[in-house]
Amino acid sequence: CRISSDGKPATFQPPPKPVIIDKQKQGEERRFLSPEFIPPRGRTDPLKFYIERKDMIQRRKVFNIPEFYVGSILAVTTANPYASEKASRFVGICIQRGGKGLGATFVLRNVIEDQGVEICYELYSPRIQAIEVLKLEKRLDDNLMYLRDALPEYSTFDVNMKPVSHLEHEEIPVNKLQVRMKPKPWSKRWERPKYNIKGIKFELPEEKMKEAQKWSKPWLEFDMLREYDTSKIEEKIWKEVNEELKK
Amino acid sequence: MMPIWTKSGKKHAVTLLKVQDCHVLRYISKEESGGRTSQLVVGGKNASPFSRSESAMEIFKEAGVPRKQKITSFNVTDDAIIKPGTPLYAAHFRPGQFVDVTAKTIGKGFQGVMKRWGFKGQPATHGQTKTHRRPGAISTNKAAKVYRGKKMPGLMGNIYRTSFGLKVWRINTKHDIIYVNGSVPGHTNCLVKVRDSKLPTCKDCNKNPPFPTFFADGDEKLPEDLYDDEVFQFTDPSVTYA
Repeated sequence: CRISSDGKPATFQPPPKPVIIDKQKQGEERRFLSPEFIPPRGRTDPLKFYIERKDMIQRRKVFNIPEFYVGSILAVTTANPYASEKASRFVGICIQRGGKGLGATFVLRNVIEDQGVEICYELYSPRIQAIEVLKLEKRLDDNLMYLRDALPEYSTFDVNMKPVSHLEHEEIPVNKLQVRMKPKPWSKRWERPKYNIKGIKFELPEEKMKEAQKWSKPWLEFDMLREYDTSKIEEKIWKEVNEELKK
Repeated sequence: MMPIWTKSGKKHAVTLLKVQDCHVLRYISKEESGGRTSQLVVGGKNASPFSRSESAMEIFKEAGVPRKQKITSFNVTDDAIIKPGTPLYAAHFRPGQFVDVTAKTIGKGFQGVMKRWGFKGQPATHGQTKTHRRPGAISTNKAAKVYRGKKMPGLMGNIYRTSFGLKVWRINTKHDIIYVNGSVPGHTNCLVKVRDSKLPTCKDCNKNPPFPTFFADGDEKLPEDLYDDEVFQFTDPSVTYA
């Protein structure tokens, strides 16, 4: 038998299996339901959520709210009585999507002339004229509030950026960027396990990282009372929303 | 509670109230009630007839209506008397009207004086011995007694309170829902009494209310949603400032 360059006898390695990608099936599988449609867990009457959903669908028929995630770059034009041309445009990265129902909000962050600016917009407010997705992508976390303590280069985006084209029926790219932070103190202790942040390149010494793990709560993921399985609810709502939007 | 936007772009918070199986139960004349006006007894949500005594059930039998969870009485003028047994709907109110809402507040149980009455308490440090949330002095030396009604710890909440002058923004006739401005006392899904406002500034606000009430089998066919003039409807395009 042949001897490899290491000096050890070469073991038999089977040829790699061919991976068959069925493009038609993949196109049907991707479903996106905006997170504000999912009702929170509580004792409210489901009729209230049904009526709110009708209003939300009604607004979506007139005004297009595109699909976007936390970490995608958006440009929003709102009606502003105090601006020349009565409309103001803001470009930024979406750091957080909060609220359920008609009061759903999203926060856009950008650094303009060395000043960090965050604006919280309501998705269903009638003052919003247009929402364009300049770059559709996901990040490793659901909440990018740590960008406030990161170096400003990670939050600066060109105001006149051209929209990056995104093909339909393709998976949304996940940007695995590890962000470098400014020196401590930070606004929140992002190294603690409660925030569960994967998108920061921690340059702290090992003792600090071990000390931060003291606040970990490993029993939380097994807590059955905190479980809220939304898969069936999501399916029903997705069917309802799609049927209404097609009309 | 939901947001609602006006045509100028302002946002207001709105509470949804559902009118669930309301029927008029009894008519009490002026002499019987002993007041200045006659009264109409109205019942709310349907409930099971088995957990009440027979005497209470008589009112429901006379009106021919299933047993109701909550009964209240409304003072009514003589020209607005309705026959017992008629159902009441949300269309009885119109958008643009002002309304008073009464309900039992959320019960907080036995609470101390700081939460119940908003007392300031004592400082946390500087030598305070075991005294941080206590009421302090309860009366003066000369009074030589504690006055009746002195604010002290006790059961808080679970009492009837009214919020006055709430504007009605929108009415859904299909599901019988009233959208009322601002917040309302009580927890979610609690029983609530809605009445035309008695504030002097709101006397002229009812333009043409359905009098004495809205009858479902009558000639009027209302659209599914009734909006106030200023409310932004989602079928319109976005708001622009010209």
